[in-house]
Amino acid sequence: MLIGLFRSVARAFALMLLVMIGATLLVRLAPGYLSDAREMDARYGNTVRAELAQEDAQSRSLTQMLAREMGGWLRGNAGVSRQFGVPVGQLIRPRLVVTGALLLRSLLLGWALALSAALVSSTRRKSGVVWQAPSTLLLAIPTAAMATLCLLAGSGGPVMVMAMLIAARDFKFLYRILRQAWLEPHLLHARAQGIPMRRLLAVHLAPSIASQLGALAGLSMVIALSALVPVEVLLDVPGLGQLAWNAAMNRDLPVLLAVTLLMALAVTASGILSGQTGAWERA
Amino acid sequence: MRMGRLAPGFLLAMLAATVAKYCIAQVPARLPGELAWTIGYDPKTFDPAKVDDIDSETVRYLTAGVLLRFNRLTQKLEPRLAESWNLSPDGRTITFKLRGGLRFSDGAALTARDAAWSIQRVLLPAAGAPVAEEFVAPASVHVDAPNSQTVVVRLPQRVAGIGKVFDEIAIEPANRPSEGHVTSGPFYVAEYQRSQFVRLRRNPYYGERDGSGAALPRASGVLLDIVENPEERIRLFSRGESDLIDQLSSEYYEMLRQKAPGSVRDLGPSLNTEQIWFNQAPASPLPAWEEAWFRNQSFRVAVSQAIQRDDLVRLVYLGHATPAYSFISPANADWYNRRLAAPHSDLAAAQDGLRRAGFRMEGTHLLDAAGHPVKFSILTNAGNDARLKMATLIQQDLAAVGMQVNVVTLDFPALIERLMHTQDYEACLLGLENVDVDPNEMMNIWLSSSPNHQWNPAEKTPATAWEAEIDKEMNLQATSQKDAVRKQAVDRVQQIVTDEEPFIYLVYPNVLAAISPRLAGAQPAVIEPELWWNVEDLRLRRTR
Amino acid sequence: MRIRLLPVWLLVALALGASAIVSRPGASYARQDREHPLAGASLTHPAGADALGRDRLVRVSAALLLSLAGALAASALTTAAAAGIGAWAAFAVPGVAWLMMLVCDVFLALPWLFLLMMVRSALPLRASPAHSAVITFLVLAALGWPACARAVYRGALGLKRADWMMQARASGMRGKQLIRQVLPNLLPLLLPQFLVCVPAFVIAEANLGALGLGIGEPLPSWGGMLLELDNSALLFRTQWVYFPVVLLILVLLLLEAILVEA
Repeated sequence: MLIGLFRSVARAFALMLLVMIGATLLVRLAPGYLSDAREMDARYGNTVRAELAQEDAQSRSLTQMLAREMGGWLRGNAGVSRQFGVPVGQLIRPRLVVTGALLLRSLLLGWALALSAALVSSTRRKSGVVWQAPSTLLLAIPTAAMATLCLLAGSGGPVMVMAMLIAARDFKFLYRILRQAWLEPHLLHARAQGIPMRRLLAVHLAPSIASQLGALAGLSMVIALSALVPVEVLLDVPGLGQLAWNAAMNRDLPVLLAVTLLMALAVTASGILSGQTGAWERA
Repeated sequence: MRMGRLAPGFLLAMLAATVAKYCIAQVPARLPGELAWTIGYDPKTFDPAKVDDIDSETVRYLTAGVLLRFNRLTQKLEPRLAESWNLSPDGRTITFKLRGGLRFSDGAALTARDAAWSIQRVLLPAAGAPVAEEFVAPASVHVDAPNSQTVVVRLPQRVAGIGKVFDEIAIEPANRPSEGHVTSGPFYVAEYQRSQFVRLRRNPYYGERDGSGAALPRASGVLLDIVENPEERIRLFSRGESDLIDQLSSEYYEMLRQKAPGSVRDLGPSLNTEQIWFNQAPASPLPAWEEAWFRNQSFRVAVSQAIQRDDLVRLVYLGHATPAYSFISPANADWYNRRLAAPHSDLAAAQDGLRRAGFRMEGTHLLDAAGHPVKFSILTNAGNDARLKMATLIQQDLAAVGMQVNVVTLDFPALIERLMHTQDYEACLLGLENVDVDPNEMMNIWLSSSPNHQWNPAEKTPATAWEAEIDKEMNLQATSQKDAVRKQAVDRVQQIVTDEEPFIYLVYPNVLAAISPRLAGAQPAVIEPELWWNVEDLRLRRTR
Repeated sequence: MRIRLLPVWLLVALALGASAIVSRPGASYARQDREHPLAGASLTHPAGADALGRDRLVRVSAALLLSLAGALAASALTTAAAAGIGAWAAFAVPGVAWLMMLVCDVFLALPWLFLLMMVRSALPLRASPAHSAVITFLVLAALGWPACARAVYRGALGLKRADWMMQARASGMRGKQLIRQVLPNLLPLLLPQFLVCVPAFVIAEANLGALGLGIGEPLPSWGGMLLELDNSALLFRTQWVYFPVVLLILVLLLLEAILVEA
């Protein structure tokens, strides 16, 4: 148990390190790291050019740059935003709460929706396309368009959009797992015996799909995180996704690194969580 | 049984709807008498000396007490904190006489010492204030306060249009800069929630009065919502949560015109231009024959003639733009050259010009004298729908003369890197925003030695005779004290630019705005800030 | 039996119809009828015209062939890669699995946006729109596998512990033989992944337009047309903007029906 925990922590650490190196390299090598839209503005051109020259001198060598960023992180200092000139922590903290709440609510809602829809539909003999249609519809509409439609309708919000997306993808996944599970011999037998639905679900169905639910949790987290940026940008949620997009568009490495690491942490955490549920099931 | 199974689904949907209701982006409630509109991003700074982005500039404009204010409508300077001002005949000494009884928003007295300190502060290199650049040699400017009412600024050399610079210098309490919390302007910064809103409150000690004797500003405050998404901006306006929208796109203008006809205004051509230009920099990695096309005046003129500007206006701007042939817009009545001879859209003339310059057609493709097919890419910034549409229309216009054009959109930093650093591009379509009517503001673009001389940046010596002539005329207008001489020089530059087409001007987009019928006192102008330059006079009408 | 094949026939008919529309003499997805921007349905433009007066029906048909082919190919590639990697990780020694899943997580966390920017800057500006479209879909396929691979890995682990698998191994089946047994059993897991990837790639391609990658003008991009949905001013002027999304849903449902029957 302890060894398992140690391995998880070691893994998380390795992940963070790799993500940090990868993200720094990607941002530094991306075109336009050392340019700024204000260079084109006659009024601000000279001051901006001076700033960029300084930045250039600091980031000439990739290894030095990496060492600086990592050293800062080890000392618990995420650096100062290139764009706003404020410590990264100060930018991130209030947004973390907003995004955390959004993620939590939409994950719960999405799961509940997907699970109930999948449970109901998978017990039907003839289902298929009719049940699939709503989720296919949700998947086909770009997140951006969905967010805009919500804006236009004046109803629904970021939680709604995210929950719908998560539910649509999870539903597809769950539907198949459940369809398969219902056809397993012991379940068929139990159903034939007329065991009540509630007991059937709790005692027979849940254990047989539990291990895959772990994977699903991980997947949902990934879906939620990938929808975070468009949803927050379009629906104007002052969360991390919006911050990440601005940071990417302005090549704000310290901010982007912090957000990326947080995302990696979320992915790892969901990975560990799903792994743990698997372990619990085996025990 | 069936209902029983579906019930959880319904319940969940209901739950979702309720949760969602509470999660829609919350807009802070407006206080009584408070104006409200939106800005795109967080202001990077509230320190008026360090402003170098548009949203910080908005806050500075609304909060800063300035010696002189540039009236955007009459385009004349008006005294504010200064009762009067005087420029010496050699143009090197400016004397301001302050009003009596001035106070900061915290009640402290404002004297010439504060004013001198504030001007000195922006001149210090350590402040890194962009406005210092406008003094040309900020290090050798001397500022004195001989008595509590007088400020004297001595410049090492004459600077054209120096008075307007003081419209951008906030007078702050000496030795205690407060990042906009203590100001001498109409408002001060009262509250800031990062990425949500900035709330400005009325400065009770602001001494101005309007014609009827009412104390200014009329509004009790300004709420600036930070909203990036244009859709959200429209929605807030339609719901009455914001009072105005500036820089409205023509599509949204048309939509609002049909939904709420009384709320939109088309103020006619702006000072801004949209243009396309070819890369003529010798440092570019382009093949020699391409550089030869781009340096060929006939080639550039033919491209200009092949572009159907009327179609750009009609299809992209839905009629809310004016075809452009010069860098000065007709909205700039004083400086626009009315006798400009421009090569108008003319396909036959374009084909003829190309033929005479040694190009020939082979099938539907244009070849240069050496047989290279004329094929190039037009770069523009991603996310700008109007520019992408213009580029696509131009793509087809140029196909008519046999040029094969590739349209490429890049995000801004990547685009700027190519334009300013690697020079690895063929043609570029971008806009230029002019915040001032005086052409002296455009020195950086026209001087061949400037890094912002886009088609061939930072030339050591002018690459062509016409660029040398532009340099000469621009320097003449910058130093001459006679308006007629300046006007003549600028007219000449306009004619050279129109003949040589280093920038091929496309359109002047119109200034489109939405103003809520509840907002009283608005006098929209074409110069930024178009809608709220007279913010002191703006107020909300009593509803019902 | 006939009914079961219906979706296949419908999809084939759709593709044939689209090709017929695109290859009809005089049809061009690029020609701008500048006198009729945003025209409604008419004899010359059966599904109206876009903002630059280009025929919407021809553009949607061309996009159907282009984007869908690209997205289908990319999804197939990415699902195959995920199946291979996920199954391999599940059946390899634990160390390899650990490493593979770590790589997956790193992949999921990195801001690949910047890689795409780098790809764009490495491509010559004069690369033809079709050329850059192919590269875009390849990059998408190369980046899309990790989420899917994780799910496959979990599924394959479940299979590894299944009774019949124990028996197979006990009876001496090894390596390739085992994989051959496992893959068909992974199909129920892979199909939804494949289907989810198709619209995701169509939309991802459109979003990449913001970085200069993706399908460039004047080639029609399905994703680009879908993104028109987020402009309320355009929706206000014409209802035909919904046409591509309706068609996309139809295609996805057909694909789904085919895969479910398979």
